[in-house]
Amino acid sequence: MTTDSRKFAKTLDEVKTYLGKKREESMEIDGTVIRAYCECIGDPNPMWKDTAPPGLVTTAMISSGAMLIGVPLLYKRSVAGGADWEFFKPIKKGDTIHTSHEFSELQEKASDKGPRLLMVYKSSHKNQKGELVAISTNTIMNY
Amino acid sequence: MAQVYFDDVKEGQDIPTLEKTPTNRTLVQWAGASGDFFELHYDKEFAKTMGYPNVLVHGRLEAAYLTQLLTDWAGEKGVVKKMSVQYRGNAFPGQKLLIKGKVTKKYQKDNENIVELEIFVENPEGQKITPGSAIIALPKK
Repeated sequence: MTTDSRKFAKTLDEVKTYLGKKREESMEIDGTVIRAYCECIGDPNPMWKDTAPPGLVTTAMISSGAMLIGVPLLYKRSVAGGADWEFFKPIKKGDTIHTSHEFSELQEKASDKGPRLLMVYKSSHKNQKGELVAISTNTIMNY
Repeated sequence: MAQVYFDDVKEGQDIPTLEKTPTNRTLVQWAGASGDFFELHYDKEFAKTMGYPNVLVHGRLEAAYLTQLLTDWAGEKGVVKKMSVQYRGNAFPGQKLLIKGKVTKKYQKDNENIVELEIFVENPEGQKITPGSAIIALPKK
């Protein structure tokens, strides 16, 4: 059965009320997490035994939690627009990564195909020692 | 894979291309591993309601391939410092994607040997569907 897990807002103002909303989450990085990631993307590099590949924090389990803030969409179509990441320290097997996501910015744009919203999420990722390991930004385009 | 050194890198050089053909199975694995269960990536009927002929490969999976391109090249002593991507086109399961990069600049800054790269995912039609850039620090001989 086809489902649609997204939430929709009736007005732009309703979306705006979510600006600044945050969500925290934590994840233990064990060997299973690293293996599942490497197997999925097909990365057999032996470097990823006690160290997690940077892609793990940038693209996988850790940064998808931003969507769980539950910001509603205004328009029917939504796709990822872009993303950037900055890495400060490697993540090691056994680390616990604490991530803080924030719905940080909302831009309205006009285009040939009609109005669109750019929804920007910023996330910071710290290890169990409180050291910043990475920051990331993800933009969702809603049109 | 042999370690690449800053000394040997030339501006304008291509780095070794990765080939990836994500399948429906890959997308399901990615959904499970990443926690991204947006229907657009596994439910064809849903994808059709959004105007797509098939489910789409997750943009973040393409970004993951790009990080692998960088870590494969940078080797054990290289460090990926920054990466950014724009999702401009769509990839569908079963398509062979070429994951590519080119050195645009090399310089030393704050005692680090920095290499900047243009990176992108190319679809079978030769379009750069996910262009981006990256900064890597490499060891010196």
